Amino acid sequence: MDLFANLALGFSIAFTPFNLLMAGAGVILGTLIGALPGIGPVSGVALLLPLTFGMSPTSGIIMLAALYAGSMYGGTITSVLINTPGESASVVTCLDGYQMALRGRAGPALGIAAIGSFIAGTVGVVLLMGMSPLLARWALSFGPPETFALMLLGLTTVTGLTGENAVKGYISMVLGLMLSMVGFDLISGDARYTGGINEMLDGVDFLPVAIGLFGLGEVLAGADQALRMEILNARYGLRDVLPSAADWARSRWAIVRGTVLGFVVGVLPGAGPTIASFLAYTVEKKVSRHPEEFGRGAIEGVAAPESANNAASAGAMVPMLTLGIPGSATTAVMLGGLMMWGIRPGPLLFEKNPDFVWGLIASLYIANVMLLVLNVGFIPVFVRALRVPYSILMALIVVFCITGAYSQNNKLWDVGQMLVFGVIGYGMKKLDYSPAALTLALVLGPLAERALRQALIISDSGVLILFQRPISAVLTVLALAAVATPVARALLASRGRRSPDPANA
Amino acid sequence: MRRADRVGAVLLLLFGVWFAAVALRYYTYWGATGPGSGFFPFWLGVAMTVLAAFLLVQAAREPDPGPAWIPRGRGAVRFLGVLGASVAFVALMPWLGMVLGTVLFLIVILRVLERHSWPTALGVAAGTAAVNWAVFTWWLRVPFPAGVLGF
Repeated sequence: MDLFANLALGFSIAFTPFNLLMAGAGVILGTLIGALPGIGPVSGVALLLPLTFGMSPTSGIIMLAALYAGSMYGGTITSVLINTPGESASVVTCLDGYQMALRGRAGPALGIAAIGSFIAGTVGVVLLMGMSPLLARWALSFGPPETFALMLLGLTTVTGLTGENAVKGYISMVLGLMLSMVGFDLISGDARYTGGINEMLDGVDFLPVAIGLFGLGEVLAGADQALRMEILNARYGLRDVLPSAADWARSRWAIVRGTVLGFVVGVLPGAGPTIASFLAYTVEKKVSRHPEEFGRGAIEGVAAPESANNAASAGAMVPMLTLGIPGSATTAVMLGGLMMWGIRPGPLLFEKNPDFVWGLIASLYIANVMLLVLNVGFIPVFVRALRVPYSILMALIVVFCITGAYSQNNKLWDVGQMLVFGVIGYGMKKLDYSPAALTLALVLGPLAERALRQALIISDSGVLILFQRPISAVLTVLALAAVATPVARALLASRGRRSPDPANA
Repeated sequence: MRRADRVGAVLLLLFGVWFAAVALRYYTYWGATGPGSGFFPFWLGVAMTVLAAFLLVQAAREPDPGPAWIPRGRGAVRFLGVLGASVAFVALMPWLGMVLGTVLFLIVILRVLERHSWPTALGVAAGTAAVNWAVFTWWLRVPFPAGVLGF
């Protein structure tokens, strides 16, 4: 089957009424979640996972991927109008977006962000479509050593780039791996670390952990902060939102650069949309002929990062689908979802589940069109949603966390786990540990252990096998470098700088 | 935060040692064909011990006590209120059932804790319970505890 036949198959799946409905629900909820400060795409995906049990995996991933894309669009609205990022990938948009809004140009800022996001999102899916099968074919030759090295690289890069304290990031990662050891060992049949509790035999479930850390944990962390929001008044008619010819001339290359940069950064393990948006802004300021306008309402300063974060969110799907290694916290939670649905991400996914993969790809094209319409034509609707008090939103999220955690196995035990991880997530967030690294490790732990044990069984030189095969040697060395750099830096400088958590996108 | 880091580092260090010790004591480190069920956990325990030692050194050298992280005043009330109400909601679910539990939970949070007006609290509570019932009970067929009302 060639590309066009695959794509035709994808569109035939994406255009079924139910899948269209799910894509529509995903983009609307995603835009809302992106716009509302306090919950971002990770929380959104974790909270919506329980809903996907009632549908096929294809419809489920369509909704979650549409939500992820939507949150990248929606975050802009809050950045521009309130000067508070709706999610971490729109932090940098505040700089020039809010300045534009203060000068009465909120409309063009939101317009160029939506158009840039559409171009970047669509090109991102084209690149995703072209690149994934090639990467999957390459990865088919991977044996256990390469698989383990790849997981090691995925874990260490995500962790190393998280937060300001690398040691705490790695502690979070090891904690996640430890939690993944609980329950039956599939190779030997031993029950490990269960403390004699029957419920623990099945292990620490992914869903209650994800909902606890990113749902309840976020709510608790937000509960002791007073969010004051002043929304700038602006006009959002179609004519106010569409950028002028001059705006467009200034922005078009920024959008192109943001798209390319964003996609590349998104594909790399560990660097998601947040880092992409920061890099795109920096690059744009460097290449600009008038860098002094940045920070004072330069439209390129909105166009570039908003394009980059959308391209990156498409790029982050590439390693998740083809290698089973998520590139960001959101794709890590999605990966956990895939496994719960019984879908095994990795090189064989494209051969074994063509309707899943191509349905997803086709839906992403459709979702981007829907999002362009929503984010150009319906901005006032989302601005109104921002006026819902945080206290009401927070209470609703808690109810949703509890029902969602219950609905997977219909057991209160799971809800209890969710509550415990909610408190753990609160503590981790307050003390700069990384819930994202813990989640990723919990998902990858059993797979990494199995790959390592298989690699050691076929090896006659112990762990050195990781260095004896070229691909695994390169990956292992990269992973070790990823561990060594920030730990060394952290030990040299005992005091770190404050920065937003890039893995939260 | 500095004190939390010091205490946390010591606890994590002990946890790492315990984790590695359990792996060696109760599970097989190396079997007939290769690594057993204790191999990976043992090294995880070692890794945690080393990392926690790093953190301890880091926190011990830190001159700045850092920002306070435990919520106080209104923040603490909200934190404990939300957490307490959630725990009570879950603990009482077998008796209250999902629908009544949701309504009571939201009234406690919105009316008692957040001081919203009665109409707001009741409206949000009733609306959420209805949507929740429609999505989870009617569509996804999740068998929630029925409780005293029978639904």
